[in-house]
Amino acid sequence: MNVEKLKAGDSIHYDGEMIIMRDAAQKRLSQFHDCPLDLKDKLVFYAGPAKTPSDSIIGAIGPTTSARMDKYLEMLFNFGIKATIGKGERSDLVKKLCGKYDGVYFLAPSGGAAALSQSVINHEILLFEELQSEAIQKIIVKDFPLIVAIDSKGHSIWD
Amino acid sequence: MTEKEIKEKVKQMIIVANTQINKEIKPFIDNYNGPFCNVLYDNYHISSSKGLPLCQDTGMVEFFCFLGIDFPLKRPLQDVLDEAVSEAYTKSPYRYSTVDDPLFERKNRMDNTPAIVHVHLVEGSHLEIMFLIKGGGSENLSRLYMMTPTASKETVVEQIVNHIEEAGARACPPLKVGIGLGGTSEKAMVLSKLALTSPISKHHDDPRYATLEEEIKSRINKLNIGFQGLKDGISCYSVHILTYPTHIATLPLAISVDCYLCRTGSVCFER
Repeated sequence: MNVEKLKAGDSIHYDGEMIIMRDAAQKRLSQFHDCPLDLKDKLVFYAGPAKTPSDSIIGAIGPTTSARMDKYLEMLFNFGIKATIGKGERSDLVKKLCGKYDGVYFLAPSGGAAALSQSVINHEILLFEELQSEAIQKIIVKDFPLIVAIDSKGHSIWD
Repeated sequence: MTEKEIKEKVKQMIIVANTQINKEIKPFIDNYNGPFCNVLYDNYHISSSKGLPLCQDTGMVEFFCFLGIDFPLKRPLQDVLDEAVSEAYTKSPYRYSTVDDPLFERKNRMDNTPAIVHVHLVEGSHLEIMFLIKGGGSENLSRLYMMTPTASKETVVEQIVNHIEEAGARACPPLKVGIGLGGTSEKAMVLSKLALTSPISKHHDDPRYATLEEEIKSRINKLNIGFQGLKDGISCYSVHILTYPTHIATLPLAISVDCYLCRTGSVCFER
């Protein structure tokens, strides 16, 4: 996905890969000098899915509060990511960083985790499995609804 | 009524609260036409038909128990309710969201215990239990302000509205707001949580506080936070105030909020 073309307020349906990580995994990553996994051009989804039912690809999944992880955003951009996905407004630092690194912040629907799980077509654990729902995971999604909250120029829907 | 029957009933109610949309909330979701409205509408149908939780954050379970002194109980209520939580969460596709040590290891406990249990001893031979499925996103908005005893009604309203304006979008609005006024610091916090178990339609018995609830609700709705924090639709379902006598030098003000799903339950057991 060419995120640089997106403008704050745009609604899209995304097909492709997302890397799931949240507070605990990012705290661990911050102790590495070189990133232990390839995050180049990835979209990071701030989430911690519920348990996977036996006949399903993944359990209920939805965004968590992004603002808690603002302090790790520059680290993620330095590791090569191009977008983050979560819920809620973020600090002014995030607008500055999105402008600096040509990155984007997307909102995903919050409190719609049973419905969103139906958009996931593949799921695997990548790293820190012992963190359970907070492990770093990879999902492939189809028709996943997103809204551009902060674009790569640093413009925000809350401005 | 045995402890096992209490556990089984509470377990079933936890499952209902996690998967079935709150009946008072359903019309608000059905009437919302803004961003992501289809996802929210589909969500409660899918959760119900597939047994998936409405939200991936299946919370900590907070119980408010009113235990009649003549109600026969042979085991600690905490143990019975922990078993209900553990069985509901290990047997359902919910998330284990509790960690053992809060600061150092933060190792997942893998059964979502402990429940947070508040027990009030009352007259009678019944056991009334109310609970909240309380997610972390809304819990992080809990606040305690030790106001001065001379604070005016206006100052109290400003404090509440300012807090919701600053942080409300992070807790999946529209919000139910619980206010604890008076008592001591911890009493006010517990009252603000207990207030969240109130049905939306319920108002304070004292007309002055009922009016205040409406005033705060109206002020929050004027903030135009909206569903999903996207400025579309209402911002607040209701405000519920619970009060308690307090010290001449204090006026504790506690604020708790519940997310748009308002996952609650209540049950009363008779001896």
